[in-house]
Amino acid sequence: MRQLHSYLIDFTSLIAISIVLYFILFSQLAGEKLSFHISDSFLQLNTIFLSILIEAIPFVLIGVLIAGFIQIFVTEDHIRRLIPKNRFLAVVMSCVVGALFPACECGIVPIVRRLVEKGVPLHAGVGFLLTGPLINPIVIFSTYMAFGNDSKMAALRMGVGFAAAIVIALIISFIFKSKQLKHTISDFTSSAPKRTRNESLTVKMEGMLKHSIDEFFDMGKYLIIGAFIAAAVQTYISANSLFVFGDGVVGSSVVMMGLAYILSLCSEADAFIGASFSNLVPSTSILAFLVFGPMIDLKNTIMLLSMFKARFVLILLVLITVIVFISTTLVSIF
Amino acid sequence: MVRTRFQHFFKAILLLAFDLFFIKLHTTGDISKYINPKYENMSFLAIWIFTLLFLIQLFRIWENNRDEHAYCPPGCNHDHGDSASVPRKLVNYSIILFPLVTGFALSPTVLDASIAANKGTVLPQSNSNSYDEDLLEYEFGDEEEIVNDNFLSNQEYDDKMKNLEQTEFIEMKEDIFASYYEFISDTPEKFQGKKIKVQGFVYKEEGMKGNQLVLSRFLITHCIADASIIGLMAEFEQATEYPEDTWLELEGTLDVMNYNGVKIPVIKAVKWTVIEEPASPYIYPVLTKIL
Repeated sequence: MRQLHSYLIDFTSLIAISIVLYFILFSQLAGEKLSFHISDSFLQLNTIFLSILIEAIPFVLIGVLIAGFIQIFVTEDHIRRLIPKNRFLAVVMSCVVGALFPACECGIVPIVRRLVEKGVPLHAGVGFLLTGPLINPIVIFSTYMAFGNDSKMAALRMGVGFAAAIVIALIISFIFKSKQLKHTISDFTSSAPKRTRNESLTVKMEGMLKHSIDEFFDMGKYLIIGAFIAAAVQTYISANSLFVFGDGVVGSSVVMMGLAYILSLCSEADAFIGASFSNLVPSTSILAFLVFGPMIDLKNTIMLLSMFKARFVLILLVLITVIVFISTTLVSIF
Repeated sequence: MVRTRFQHFFKAILLLAFDLFFIKLHTTGDISKYINPKYENMSFLAIWIFTLLFLIQLFRIWENNRDEHAYCPPGCNHDHGDSASVPRKLVNYSIILFPLVTGFALSPTVLDASIAANKGTVLPQSNSNSYDEDLLEYEFGDEEEIVNDNFLSNQEYDDKMKNLEQTEFIEMKEDIFASYYEFISDTPEKFQGKKIKVQGFVYKEEGMKGNQLVLSRFLITHCIADASIIGLMAEFEQATEYPEDTWLELEGTLDVMNYNGVKIPVIKAVKWTVIEEPASPYIYPVLTKIL
């Protein structure tokens, strides 16, 4: 029986490999035949689209592995013991943990979902979601480099970002009491009896990887849609055409935040893009760009919408926009 | 039951296809047309993870269905694929298949001037006058730059930067292009009268005269999506003859000019030739190796 099973696996793997090879060969042939008919701008769009994916996929894979790990190894009891009951303490703690955790904005979404599902309060989850991609050593360093070795912008980005994240998470804690997930955990827990089997580590590891695979396919499609829209915007819409609000500080901050949203750049690279605008807009607007982008962007919103209730995502989006705008403007006054 | 098996099989195929896509990018070297080669290690990691996930998924195909939730703690609600309707599943999988099809079928193109135009401007605009002070804030400082690139050691970098200040003939090589460019455009006066040789593609902006063009390159920090355009203004009578996206190698003398109220460097060209697009058209900033 065991031998039969291993033959079966060998056989399927052979079939899988040959199907993939046929697929590659076929699409390459089709590409050669058709590429003359495809417009130049679509080819550029496709290149940008794929480059966003190639850049993001390794981070998403790490994200889903961590999410799988949380799902299998972290129990609700752990979380209940670790997260402070006090609202304010919980928010501060989650923001600090996020700041220490080097994550990318697309990798962090599946992690936050798992955490919230496991009983982490929503406001703590939000704090982690906001500071995770914004504050970490790589981002600090690249911001420092991008602005000609001036630490002022890097320091402002971290400081303002951290303060804004705490405020946003606190407001969220007052608005929402429940988890705001699309499928709530209680639907299941009531019916499924609690199993406390002591499984071996290999079984657990296998479970973790299986979870990661499913999570990758869950997330993957939203990442792909987001990357495609961001690439289309870059190909067809000129950045200058966005400056319809004139060149006042308020107008250009709004434009820069809009730009950060639709470009969906990785927080490790956006400082250089922000810096390239420094002869077009005042530094306040660049700060708004740098703080807003990592907190929320197009690709991120689509991923969030896939698992949180639309109303929650919308309110979060509005809150982040308003708070970031106010806090960056305040900084420029003082 | 059969349907679940088939779905697991299909997922295995997709994982393998992603795996081979990343392997193909590395073996053909196409990866440098999508992302900064400094981040290659991350996509190497992706190859290993995809291989592992493919193997796990392979074993899942013949697993018995009732084991599916065995490893789940209570409250598991992830998608085992048996909930969605068939047309919805079709849409989901087509979305995931899409980048694989275009990735294998179409080879990467090099960004051109049309994208550059969307990226904002290379040259200072007239409405930027009011922000001159902001601009000064980010001036290239005198302090030592911390650099530990995978192409350049600290020592090499320091030598090159010192060389830039002393030499009478500046050659804009690809490895140091970004740093030289930054230095020259921040302090154009220092380089007045020096000879320079540079390769780039022709880019033109509104408000430029007929005898002017910008010889530009795309600067890629992380991936093509964050490309920004950098370039030096060049002046010569025949500039009108060269349309956008023509690759030129140009030699001339550096001078300073006033453009919309901002001092920028300009090359008074004496010699130029049309060249083929170089094998590595993009410029990557000199930065510390992160991963």
